[in-house]
Amino acid sequence: MRRRHLSDVALVVVGRVAIVVIVGLLLLPVAVVLMLSLSNDTVFAFPPSSWGFRQYRELLDNPQWVAAISYSVKIAIPAVVLSVVVAVPASLAIHRSALPGRGLLQLGGIASIVIPISAFAVAMYGVFAQFGLLGSYWGLVVANTVLAFPFVLIVTSAALTRIPVELELAAMIAGASRPRAWAGVTLRLLLPAILAGALLAFVTSFDEAVFINFLGGPDQVTLPKEVFNSVRYGIDPAITAIAAVLMLTTSAIMTCALVLQRRGR
Amino acid sequence: MNGRHALEIRSLSKRFGSTAALHPLDLDVNAGEFLTLLGPSGSGKTTLLRLIVGFESPTEGRIVLDGRDISGLSPADRSAGMVFQNYALFPHMTVRENVEYGLKIRRASREERRRRVLEMLELVQLTGFDDRYPRQLSGGQQQRVALARALAYKPTIILMDEPLGALDRTLRIEMEHVIRTIHRSLEATVIYVTHDRQEALALSDRIAIMRAGRIVTIGKPEDHYYRPADSFVASFFSDANLLPVVKYVSTAGGDTARVTAQGDVFDCPSSHNVDGEARLAVRPRSLGLKPVGGIGLRGLLLETLLYGDERELICEVPGVGRVTALVPSRASADLAVGQAIELHAAHEDLVLVRHRDDDDAPAPSAADRTEEP
Repeated sequence: MRRRHLSDVALVVVGRVAIVVIVGLLLLPVAVVLMLSLSNDTVFAFPPSSWGFRQYRELLDNPQWVAAISYSVKIAIPAVVLSVVVAVPASLAIHRSALPGRGLLQLGGIASIVIPISAFAVAMYGVFAQFGLLGSYWGLVVANTVLAFPFVLIVTSAALTRIPVELELAAMIAGASRPRAWAGVTLRLLLPAILAGALLAFVTSFDEAVFINFLGGPDQVTLPKEVFNSVRYGIDPAITAIAAVLMLTTSAIMTCALVLQRRGR
Repeated sequence: MNGRHALEIRSLSKRFGSTAALHPLDLDVNAGEFLTLLGPSGSGKTTLLRLIVGFESPTEGRIVLDGRDISGLSPADRSAGMVFQNYALFPHMTVRENVEYGLKIRRASREERRRRVLEMLELVQLTGFDDRYPRQLSGGQQQRVALARALAYKPTIILMDEPLGALDRTLRIEMEHVIRTIHRSLEATVIYVTHDRQEALALSDRIAIMRAGRIVTIGKPEDHYYRPADSFVASFFSDANLLPVVKYVSTAGGDTARVTAQGDVFDCPSSHNVDGEARLAVRPRSLGLKPVGGIGLRGLLLETLLYGDERELICEVPGVGRVTALVPSRASADLAVGQAIELHAAHEDLVLVRHRDDDDAPAPSAADRTEEP
């Protein structure tokens, strides 16, 4: 048996306490927001003086919020589809082809999540201004795709490196054409990763708060924009409900994505 | 075996950029034959296999399978079956779905698929495993499923790329039996790639020994063993020690030779086509501690390794270099490292072989060059 020194034990205790404090600090605002969203008060007050679903009712009764949520979804869905359409063939090209410069492709593929987003937004502003895409729906779809597709690329690439290339070859020797071998074997095995990547992409696009301010113009109101507006023009307690809904759906989607990734392994 | 060539390869070569992975080579494989490509890694054996199956396209040359030039065809149209080292079973399919994959693509009827899967699983001794998934099987079982999958659609030729490489020793021997039995009962034409000569010896009708992108020699396992084509084959295939030769004269039409070596003149077996520089090959098991009226090698014992019934002795013999002997372990129990010993071999256990001077295989030490003619 190994005897531990007192200093070791102390270090472990300090470490654990530190973790609890940090996690607590991170989760505290979440807990506060969740509590506030269940308040029946008409103004912010902590702790709430009465409890209920008033904020949620307010949210659903307000056409502005509903419109903002549906507009965010309306942008996110084509952005996710485009991300998958771009990222899956790209990861195949990077990991399964002899394409020259595929290392650069891999690097460029994740550039948009590495480059500081405000700098990126300024650059996009310049490009969009040139092509008349500022303040347009499709402009926002394109911008969100640029932000979202690296997630699909990263997740599918990771999965692809774990699928032996021999599987595809085995299918082809058995008589399958290359498209059939891809569809029936490689893509089929990649499916959980593609779904996981798509969910991450959806969350990224749905939650996008920077590009919309640079590129959206006054008429394009997504959910993050509406949240921003509502805070700017006076505080409506209904945004606690929005925040709660956002956090819960995001965690749910992220959990799904994680589970899918695990299963693909 | 009816003597017809199932596979004919004509001046096939493959270059990657400026390096030749495969120098132009010809190869005929008989129908029903089990041919092994044996060689160290980088010898071109896997490249040759990949060319046959169509994963690589040749720089030059033709591949004719069953009278049909398949050189330009896609792998799907070559009527080949393949077994990979890592099994390469489709993890999302059951054993049945894996085995019937090729049949489904060929649009075989449900009845035929059912019958064929049953037949194949019986053949590889996995009856009743239909609904398992690959991850629920052991390595040996997975490789048997892979075998069944490759055989199910009756390809003209089966290619195996180190199929036993990922298995442990006991399983390997078991699988050798399975493969041998299947080959015999189906009369399948098989090309088998390995770097393990025990496997090659156990399985093959013929063995092609490859080195540096060429087929060095091709022949029956016994021939490689008892009459190696040259000094590389002798040391690679049977771990033979190579002794310097002062002078030799071929006799009996090349079957034997009168050799001057080790301070003696004697007759011993010879491989054919010995000319120029030559070596005497002697396998470790042919060397013993008791005089047998043949040659004697006096040296210093450097190391002993016990293998069970046998003990490996490594000696430094002046004028020869390192010599390895395998002797019964009981009779050699008293030997101590550092002592002088004498190893003996009967003349009929020696073989005169041509010396390959471009050898990168274990080369005779510099000391013997003084004795060369």
